[in-house]
Amino acid sequence: MTQPAIFFEEVNERQGVFHRRAILLGACAGLGIGALTARLAYLQLYQTERFEKLATSNQFNFKLAPAPRGVVVDRNGAVLAANRPNFRLLVARDTGLDTETTIKTLAEFVPLTDARQRRLLRDINSAPRRAPVSVMEDMSWEQFSAINIRAPELPGVTADMGEVRVYPHGGAFAHVIGYVAKVNREDIAATGPNADPIMMHPSFRIGKQGVEKAFDLELRGRPGARKVEVDANGREVGHDDGGDIAAIPGQEIQLTLDVDIQNRALEVFGEESGGAVMMDCRTGDILCMASAPSFDANRFVRGLTGGEYRALANYERRPLLDKCLSGLYPPGSTFKMMTALAILNAGISPEERVGCGGGMNFGGRFFHCHKRGGHGSQNLHDAIKNSCDTYFYAMSLRVGPDRIAEAARAFGLGQVFDIGIPGQKKGTVPDRAWKKSYFAKNPAQAEWWPGENLSYAIGQGYLQVNCLQLAVMTARLANAQKALNPRLVMSVGGRERPRGSDVPDLPFDPDHIAYVRRGMAAVTDVGGTAWRASQLGLGDITMAGKTGTAQVRNYDKGGHRGKGGPWRLRDHGLFVAFAPIDEPRYALAVIVQHGMGGSTAAAPRAREIMRTALLKDPEILARVQKPLPMPQMTPDPELDLLPDPPTLLTPDGDPIPASAPATPTARGRPA
Amino acid sequence: MTASALTRPGERDRLVVKLSEIDWLFVLVLCLIAGAGSLMLFSIAGSSWQPWAWNHASRFGICLLLLLVLAVIDIRVWFAIAYPLYAVGLLLLVAVEVAGDVRLGAQRWLSIGGFSFQPSEVMKLGIVLALARLYHGVSAERARLSWWLLVPTAMIAAPVLLVAHQPDLGTAMLILMTGVAIVVLAGLSWKIIGAGVALFMAIVPPFVAFVMHPYQRQRVMTFLDPESDPSGAGYHILQSMIALGSGGALGKGYGLGSQSQLNFLPEKQTDFIFAALAEEFGFVGCVSVLVLYAAAIFMALRTAYVSHSHFGRLAAAGVTATFTVYMLINGAMVMGLAPVVGVPMPMLSYGGTVMLTVMIGFGLVQSVRVHRYSEVTSGKGSFV
Repeated sequence: MTQPAIFFEEVNERQGVFHRRAILLGACAGLGIGALTARLAYLQLYQTERFEKLATSNQFNFKLAPAPRGVVVDRNGAVLAANRPNFRLLVARDTGLDTETTIKTLAEFVPLTDARQRRLLRDINSAPRRAPVSVMEDMSWEQFSAINIRAPELPGVTADMGEVRVYPHGGAFAHVIGYVAKVNREDIAATGPNADPIMMHPSFRIGKQGVEKAFDLELRGRPGARKVEVDANGREVGHDDGGDIAAIPGQEIQLTLDVDIQNRALEVFGEESGGAVMMDCRTGDILCMASAPSFDANRFVRGLTGGEYRALANYERRPLLDKCLSGLYPPGSTFKMMTALAILNAGISPEERVGCGGGMNFGGRFFHCHKRGGHGSQNLHDAIKNSCDTYFYAMSLRVGPDRIAEAARAFGLGQVFDIGIPGQKKGTVPDRAWKKSYFAKNPAQAEWWPGENLSYAIGQGYLQVNCLQLAVMTARLANAQKALNPRLVMSVGGRERPRGSDVPDLPFDPDHIAYVRRGMAAVTDVGGTAWRASQLGLGDITMAGKTGTAQVRNYDKGGHRGKGGPWRLRDHGLFVAFAPIDEPRYALAVIVQHGMGGSTAAAPRAREIMRTALLKDPEILARVQKPLPMPQMTPDPELDLLPDPPTLLTPDGDPIPASAPATPTARGRPA
Repeated sequence: MTASALTRPGERDRLVVKLSEIDWLFVLVLCLIAGAGSLMLFSIAGSSWQPWAWNHASRFGICLLLLLVLAVIDIRVWFAIAYPLYAVGLLLLVAVEVAGDVRLGAQRWLSIGGFSFQPSEVMKLGIVLALARLYHGVSAERARLSWWLLVPTAMIAAPVLLVAHQPDLGTAMLILMTGVAIVVLAGLSWKIIGAGVALFMAIVPPFVAFVMHPYQRQRVMTFLDPESDPSGAGYHILQSMIALGSGGALGKGYGLGSQSQLNFLPEKQTDFIFAALAEEFGFVGCVSVLVLYAAAIFMALRTAYVSHSHFGRLAAAGVTATFTVYMLINGAMVMGLAPVVGVPMPMLSYGGTVMLTVMIGFGLVQSVRVHRYSEVTSGKGSFV
C-alpha cells in the first residue's frame, strides 16, 4: 500500500476544518442541552401547579361507598328491616386481567359451578372497565380470609365487607315493607336521583316494593367516599383517612305497625288466604296490615331463581298479591252498616218492621235471605243482629243507590288513602252516576234498575272494596265522630307524619251511628250471628262486629251455595269488629278469601288478633287484671276471730290442706 | 505539543504512563452519572437494590474496567480492526434479517449459543471506526465535495437501511446521525449540508405517511398532540410530563415520586428514568445531571480536539456525537419535545447493552487521549 499523498498544509487544513467543526458540534450539544434546560424550566418552574394537580388526580381516587340503608322499625322501635355484614368477592375488569384464568383460580377458593363461571365471564367482560362485578356474596370467614391473603397476586380481585338488607320477621311485613334488589337497567334514569353513579356500585340495592320503594330516597342516604391512593393499574395501595367523605346514613322510618299484632295475624291465617287490617280508632294508626300467605323478602334480596319465582307467581293463593290493598272483594253483609246509615239518613224509622219469610220476590225473581226459614218480623236493630237480608232488600227500594253510596263514601269505601305506599286499589262504590259513566258506550245498560238495589244493600253486585277500606269504615264507625284517616308511616328520619285524627267530623247524625253500633254490639251478643266466635274471654271487655259472607258467583243455577266445591268458587268470609265496646280503641277488618263464612272463618281469627292487641294495651290489661270487687262483709266486732289462714296453693293450683306439714319441699319445690 | 518533545522514546508505551494519561476527571463524571442512575433505580424499585439498582451498579463497574483496558490499547489496533468490525456488524445485521428472533414485533435480536444480543449495537461503534478510518486517508478536498463522497454515503446507508427494516427506527436514526456527524466533522461542503437539510425537510412528511409502520406513525401523531388520547398512545408522554412538572423546583423528595412509585410512569427504569429523577429531585436535580452530561461531552470533545491523528479525532468526535444524540433524543422525548422512540438516557437508564456500547465507545475516546501523539499513518505497522 502506498502512503497517502497528504501534504503538510493539507494535514493542517484537515485539522483546521475539524477543529472548527468540533467547536460547532460542541456548540450544537450546548444548544441542545440549553433547550432541554429551558424546557425543564418551563415544565418544572412555570407549569408546576398544573402538573401537580394532574399527578394528584392520578395518585388519589375517591371510591364511592354506599351509605348504610335506613332502618325500618315498628311503633315500639322493633326492627323490621335492617342491614347485616356481608363478605363479598368482587372482580373488576382491567387491562392485563385474564378473566378466564382469574375465575378458574377463584373457583379453587369458593364453589362456582361451570354455568356460574360462564355467566361471570360474560358479566365481567361486558362490565365497564374497573367496575367491580360480584362473584360471590355471603362468603364464610374462612373463604374471605383465604381470598384476602391471595388478593395481592390476583389482579382485579378484591374481597370486602359490604352490607346486605335483612328482614328479621321474614314474610310478616313483606307486603308492607317490600324488599330491595339489585339495580336493573330500567331503574337507571338519565337524570334525577336515579342517575347517581352510586347506582352502579355492586353492593347498592334499590327498593322494589312497599316502603322500600316509596321511601327509597330517604332510606338511601348519601354515599360517602374513601380517598384511596391507587397505582397505575387502579389497585389500592394506600388510604388517606383524612380525605374520606363520610357517608350520611339513610333515615330511619318508623311505621305505625306493631310487630306482635302483625305476627299474630299472619299466624292465625295458617294456610288460608286473605288479609287483616287493624286500626287504632282514636288516632287512625294502622297497627296491623297482614296479607296471607306471604313470602320471605330475604329471598328476594338474594335473588330468586326462576323456579322459585314461578312457584310464587303461579300459586293459586297468590302470595305476591297484597290482599289488604290490592285485593278487591265484595264486602257482603259487613256493608249492611252503610245501608243502615242510609236508611236512617233517609228518615225511615228504625222501628219500622219488615217480615222475613226467607226472602223476597222482586221483578219476577226470588231473592233469598241467608236464613231459608226466615227471621220473622225485623226492625233495623234485629236486621243488623241477625244479618237479615230481607229487611235490607225491602228498605233498599225506598232508599235508592245514591244514599247508600253517599254513606259508603263518607266511611271511606271506594277511596284511596295517602298511607305512603303504592298499590292501593280504589274499588267500586256504585250509584246512578257511576253506572251511567261506566256503561257510557252501551246506553241500554246505563240505567240503574231497581233490582240492583237489592244486591247493593247486602254488599254484593258492583260493589268492590279492599280490606283497608273496610278497616277504615269500621274505625270511623267505632270513633263515631271523626272521619279518621289511616296512617302507616309514623315518622321519617324523626319527622312525624300527619296524624289520621286531624280530620273533620263525619257528616252523620251521631245518634244514627250510635244506633248502628248498638246493632254491631248485638251481633256479638247472645243470639247474634257471631256470638260464639267473638267471645274475647277478657271479662267485661267485649267486641262488637259484623259478619259477612260474600258470594263469588251466582247461586241461581243451584249447586253447593258456595259452601264447598273448588276453593276458588267458595264464598269469602269477612268480619269487621271493634273493641272494647264501651270505649272503642281498636278496629279490625278480616277477609278470608274463599273462607266460606264470616262467622266461621273470619270472626274467630279476628277475635285472636283483637285479643293480642287488647292484651298489649297496658290500660286494657289493667282493666282485665283488676280484681273483682270484694263481696260486702258485715264485720262482727263481737266475734274476735282471726281470719281464716290463707289457702296455700301448690304450683299446680291444688290447695294444700292446712293440716299438711308445711315442709319446704311441699311448699316450694314439690318433687 | 511541547510535552511530547520532552518524552523519551518508549516512555509513552509504559502502562503506568498510559494509565496516568487517562482523563480521570472524565471517569469521575461517568461514575457520577451512573451513580445517579443507580440511585434512581433504587428509589423506583421501592427502595430496593433489586431488580435494577444493583445490576446497574455492578454492570457499570465491569464496564469501567473494560474502559480502562480499552484505553491502554494502542490506537493503531483500533485503526486496524475498524473495517473488520464494520464488516462483521454488517454481516450480523444481514443474519438478523434472515434468522433473527422476533421480540415485541421487531426483529432485532440474534441468539448465539444461548447469548442473545442486538447486532445494531455493534454497528454503532463499527460505523464510527470505519468512517474515521476511511477519512483518515482522504484529502480535505475530497472530503469537502467530490464524487468520492458516495463511498461514505454507501457505508452509512447500508446499516441504516438494514436496522430500519427490523424495524428499529430509533437505532437507525442514531447510526445515521452518527455517520452524518463524522462526515460533517471531516469537512463536508456547506453546500451539501444545506442541500441535505432541505432534502430531509422535503422527504420526512411522505416518509411518515407511507413508509412507517402504523405504530411508528401513531407515535409521531401522538407526539404532535399528546393530550388527544391521554389513556392510549399519548399516555406515555403525558405521564412523563406530569412527572416532570409535578417535581417542581426541588422535587418531591427521594423515594416520594407518586408518578414513578405508583407505576404511572411507563418504562420508568429505562426510557423514562430521567422523568423519575425529575419528579423526585426537581429542576435542581435535573440541571445537575445535565451539567454532568455537558461536562462529559465537553471533555470527550476536547480529547478529539487534542488528538494528533485524524483517525483519532474523528473516532473520538464520532463517539461523542453518538452519546450526545442519545442524550438529547431521550431528553427531548421525556420532556415531550420528541416522539416516543426507544432511545434510553445513556448511563442513567437501566439496560446492559447500551451501557456496554457507550462504555466501549468511551474506551476508544480514552485510547485516543492516551495515544494522542501516536502517529497513525496507515494500517501498516500495526500488529494486526
